[in-house]
Amino acid sequence: MNTTAAARLDRATFAALVAAVLMPVALGLIFFYVPNDVDQGFSQRIFYFHVPIAMTTYALFGWGALNAARYLWTGDMQLDLRSYVPMHLGVIFGTLTLVTGSIWAKVSWGTWWYWGSTELNTFLIIFLFYCAYFMLRFSVEPGERRARYSAVYALLGVGLIPISVLAVHLGQDVIHPITFTDHGANMDGSMLFTFLMSLAAMLSLAVAMYLVELRGKRLDDQVARLRRLAQGTP
Amino acid sequence: MSRRAFAALVRKDLLLELRGSEVVLAMVAFVLAAFVLFRFGLGGGRPAGGTRAATGMLWVAIVFTAMLGLLRTFAQEREHGIWDGLLAAPIDRALLWLARACSTCLFLIAVQVVALPAFWLFFLQEGPAPDYGVLVAAVVLADIGIAALGSLVAGLASAGRAREVLLPVLFLPFAIPLVLGAVSATTGTISPQTSGLHTVERLGYLALYDTVFVLFGWGLFEFVVED
Amino acid sequence: MPSPSEVVACDGLVRRFGERAALAGVDLRLAAGEFVLVTGPNGAGKTTLLRVLATVLRPTEGTVAVGGHELPRAAMAARPLIGYVAHGPLTYPGLTALENLSLYAALYGVPAEWIDPVLERVGLGARRRDPVAEFSRGMSQRLALARAVLHRPSLLLLDEPTAGLDSGGRDVLREVLAEPGRTVIVSTHEPDWFEGLATGAVRIEAGRVAA
Repeated sequence: MNTTAAARLDRATFAALVAAVLMPVALGLIFFYVPNDVDQGFSQRIFYFHVPIAMTTYALFGWGALNAARYLWTGDMQLDLRSYVPMHLGVIFGTLTLVTGSIWAKVSWGTWWYWGSTELNTFLIIFLFYCAYFMLRFSVEPGERRARYSAVYALLGVGLIPISVLAVHLGQDVIHPITFTDHGANMDGSMLFTFLMSLAAMLSLAVAMYLVELRGKRLDDQVARLRRLAQGTP
Repeated sequence: MSRRAFAALVRKDLLLELRGSEVVLAMVAFVLAAFVLFRFGLGGGRPAGGTRAATGMLWVAIVFTAMLGLLRTFAQEREHGIWDGLLAAPIDRALLWLARACSTCLFLIAVQVVALPAFWLFFLQEGPAPDYGVLVAAVVLADIGIAALGSLVAGLASAGRAREVLLPVLFLPFAIPLVLGAVSATTGTISPQTSGLHTVERLGYLALYDTVFVLFGWGLFEFVVED
Repeated sequence: MPSPSEVVACDGLVRRFGERAALAGVDLRLAAGEFVLVTGPNGAGKTTLLRVLATVLRPTEGTVAVGGHELPRAAMAARPLIGYVAHGPLTYPGLTALENLSLYAALYGVPAEWIDPVLERVGLGARRRDPVAEFSRGMSQRLALARAVLHRPSLLLLDEPTAGLDSGGRDVLREVLAEPGRTVIVSTHEPDWFEGLATGAVRIEAGRVAA
């Protein structure tokens, strides 16, 4: 137990160090290296925050759902934690995605929320879904049943994501009559490099937060177990 | 054998509803009141946005009405402690979900037999007549989706401290894509010129929604029923 | 390893509800034909034990086998062997006695012809078409017994079967329990009433078998 805890600490520290190096590098690239966008100018730089954060959010939700499935398969309570922690972080990153998306909408389209954007609308549905996950998690007593119910709901999200993407595309004509033309799709070398660095920075930050939080939750569990032992109940 | 068990479970729900009629009548009253509210809230005239806005209201009203019914899902089993009897029986537990989803779907259809003509009367009388075949198909497909997902989510919500609050919170994110699909399909039946999409694509989307959540319900329900 | 001659075999059975352990390591072995009373204070875990054996609850730790079928993996094979009388009657108040048993006959896959003899057996033949909501507590208990033996199980689990039972119902219960060829586990607060039927007794305290 001691050796694995020590290894976990090392991994968490390592991930945190990587994030601490990549973050300033990415920020430097975004503000000082990458050239202004031809159409949108300086403000387009928020793209290098928004899209990597959104991708990190999806990655966190994906990891959470994968561990949810593994929990239902094995019944190992550790996997419940590994499913809950990324969901929890995913909601934080998701909030950042919505905020940066909203700012981007304001600078490019002059409105705080653009109902014609399929990406924003899909993300909104999925964000609401994961908020509901938390409501479920907090209203069920801790234990095996909460783990099962959380896992079931997390997996339902896997069905919801493609369904929402389709629905929002299908519903374009009913949500908003203006068609949305994608831009930023053809990035030149420096833009792609900055984008990938920013993505790497966000992902390493998420991994570091995940490992630290997981460790904290595990310590909570151990304290609870020790307290139970001290009271003489198994 | 399992077909007999399934039929017996659905028959049980229908019998209880016919005798006690605790769900369907309440849903009918609710949906009619919702239409009246919309009508008065929008001030007498034809809703701005025409058919599109009207069908949007229809589906929002239907989703909230369905939620009212879903709150009573498995209520008898819960209140009278019958779960243990069903769980001890040698049947696949997914069958309990499937039977419940079927009866919920039948209740929804029963409600809509009243609600849809009333809706037409309130909002669309002056407009063009819909394509009835497509309309019925869209409504039934949407009902299947609501019932399949709703029966699963109702099971999840019943473990929470505040079931009545939790169920809408858990259900509504899933209702958004369903309402989008259903509105798109029903608007298309009333005024087909609004978009370039084919009817088949719109109904196909609803069918896909149903398939996904029927599979999820079938696979996941056994994790929901135990204490 | 569970052996087929043992109808019930629990080894280190633990069942937790959240943080609380209702069963904290129960070892119990029953051979065919035994009639065991489970006694103990309220909240000791008697009901939880019966619910685990009835395949309603999964064990958290330890192994449980009923009729040689390990739970929860082979629960499907074990379920037809088990008849379960719970605290509640496990019947729908809005349905008649006959409709309730028809439902369970369908769930257990047994012929509908088995229903009437069972209802006669517990003395509800005349009331078979009355809604269960109109039944007295004693009649509901009789119906619960009928429900449990409908599919002719070889293991009968009864949770406080004498509670709220009228004297006629008690006679019926005694007759049914005296039928040979069944293994029976009864949780009860009145062990004396089962004298002459029971072949053994187990006392449970705080989720464990007391010595």
